[in-house]
Amino acid sequence: MSAVLAPPGSSGDARGHESSPARLLRVLLTQRSALLLLLLVAVLITFTIASSNNYLTAPYDVGYLSVTLINAVPLVMLGLAELLVITSGRGGIDLSVGAIVSLTSMVFGFAYGQWGWNLWLAVLAAAVFGGLCGAINGVLIAYVGYPALITTLATYYAFSSLALVINDQKPISTAPIQDFYSTARAVPVPLLGDDALRVPLGIVTFLVPTAVLVWLLLARSPYGRRLYAIGTNDVAARWAGIDVRGTRFTAYVLAGVVSGLVAVVTVAQFASARPDAGVSGNGMALPAITIAILGGVAITGGVGRVAGVVLATLLIVWLNAGILLAFPGNAGGQFQLLALGLVLVFAALLNGYTNRRYRGEA
Amino acid sequence: MTAPTAARSGASSGGPPSREGTGRVLPYPVTGQEIVLIAVIAALWAVLALTTPAFMTSGSIVPLLVATAPIGMIGIGVTVVIVTGGIDVSVGGAVAVVSVVVARSLVEASIPLPLALLLAVVLGGVLGAVNGLLIAFGRVHAIIITFGTANLFRFVALQVFGGTTVNGIPDTLGVLGRGGAGRTLGIPHSFVITVVIAAAAWYYLRHTAGGRHFYVIGGDAHAARLAGVAVLRRILMAYVLTGLLTGLGACMLLAQGTSTLAPNVGLGLELTVIAAVVIGGTSIMGGRGGVLGTLLGALLVQTVASGVTQLGWPSQLSPLFIGVFILIAVGTDLLRQRTRRTS
Repeated sequence: MSAVLAPPGSSGDARGHESSPARLLRVLLTQRSALLLLLLVAVLITFTIASSNNYLTAPYDVGYLSVTLINAVPLVMLGLAELLVITSGRGGIDLSVGAIVSLTSMVFGFAYGQWGWNLWLAVLAAAVFGGLCGAINGVLIAYVGYPALITTLATYYAFSSLALVINDQKPISTAPIQDFYSTARAVPVPLLGDDALRVPLGIVTFLVPTAVLVWLLLARSPYGRRLYAIGTNDVAARWAGIDVRGTRFTAYVLAGVVSGLVAVVTVAQFASARPDAGVSGNGMALPAITIAILGGVAITGGVGRVAGVVLATLLIVWLNAGILLAFPGNAGGQFQLLALGLVLVFAALLNGYTNRRYRGEA
Repeated sequence: MTAPTAARSGASSGGPPSREGTGRVLPYPVTGQEIVLIAVIAALWAVLALTTPAFMTSGSIVPLLVATAPIGMIGIGVTVVIVTGGIDVSVGGAVAVVSVVVARSLVEASIPLPLALLLAVVLGGVLGAVNGLLIAFGRVHAIIITFGTANLFRFVALQVFGGTTVNGIPDTLGVLGRGGAGRTLGIPHSFVITVVIAAAAWYYLRHTAGGRHFYVIGGDAHAARLAGVAVLRRILMAYVLTGLLTGLGACMLLAQGTSTLAPNVGLGLELTVIAAVVIGGTSIMGGRGGVLGTLLGALLVQTVASGVTQLGWPSQLSPLFIGVFILIAVGTDLLRQRTRRTS
């Protein structure tokens, strides 16, 4: 990207003569996926060594890593939702994804657990309902011109409140919902035998399809080009004849659809449709935004890739998994906060440094 | 948009912009948004007074004012931060750190009131300085840094908690609380302190060159730097100020609570504060807004929360109304800007 934008003769010339360590540094700093991959390998090696020296309470092996992937399912999906809206630019962000997850969990719980809908119909209903919630954000932000942060803060309040009130704060855990838990279990990988490797089913049924679809949408479809265009410069995009409002609106609707699907995953994981599923504790929105930013999505819009979000999630999930083994009990959860905070601040400072060094921004 | 319009709206902080010839440089002392808020709060209070006889008693109004105080206090700082074009989502974490350190000092060292307040304000200021230094000198967007420090602060707080609650907190901070010691002539001290500090901040932001600089930075940071404003130092100041006031707000929250402090203290507080600030008419894009509106916004948020319980509705409904009020408040502000631009 920067090589194309750089005026000929300035930084382009210097780059031709740079030494290979300098080149490596530039790739690591400007290609977020490369840096994340390096960090991921570092985390895996560190904990594997710690594990083989018996520093950990349980072995940090491939089996453990694949089981902990269950935590990656909602994170990657919501991270991708944030990728879509943050990339759409003009301060795009969605604080309401966790609240949409809560509210859609309840809707899915009613449809599948109480009204006895067909599973596929109920999943479809969850996606559509999530999309409707996203459409509320989208209309206000793209068409009326509300700032995204404020709109989604307001809808975060509204949706999470409705989710609590709709069933009098009670979770729905009827028989169909409890049986639905079986779809969240870890299943053996075919061809490898029963005991070799167990992968959470949600990876196959929800995570991979969502990631592939979002990737196709962003990297291989006209819509993706439009989204990057409006995120980079929406005035220029408008003069280029792009439907800026419609494109931005769609990003929020898609984020809502993804949140609706996360609701289904969450219901399966807890074997219960909980009214506070997406907002309890720190909520789901803040980790999702953190993942997106760590994955190299520029908060100013127009920059961000699916691979970055997926790698950032793997980094955080496997780092957290290792921390849980290194610090058992309460301390583990606390050190996860420390790790997340440090990684985010570090990544942000690095972004700032990279921009100044390689893109000539003041 | 024509050039003169842009120049005028850039420097104004809400309310009608200056008109050529009249010599008015400053916005009006009270903006349209604030007048609307006063009317809305008055209407809500009137409705509540008519429907629930218990509302207009001191047993209901005093807790309302006490609960408004910390939100308003922290909101003053967050207003300044948002006016510069930044944001601070770490105040909940900062409140957790300050309140657990102060609580443990009260329990284990029995420190006196002045020392507790000093400790809280200094600690809050240090946490604010961490944010400010990273944002101003790391040149990173404020929302990213404060998301990160929110996690870090929460980690520090949980470490100090050590896995349990803090029990048996003495009543040293009672003068800020909701009890009898926290009132003079029936008026809660914490609310008075918040109003006094808000008044000082109002004067500073409106009538001193230093205060106006915050608006200039929010309007256009680059232009501000070229005009000789010490942008980085002002941004650092905004976050340190937020930290100091958060420390004070944490003491109020501590005083309002029971003698037990749980590790979930301050969870979600940042969103309540931001809600109060934007309901008060401060633009999230920076450059416009004021602390009077924030105080009214905090009062409105607490009135809604109190009103919902008084009417016997489930208390979980109050966020729904807060969300609706945010949308209405920002929507009227958008409308007013649009009509101003076309007129």
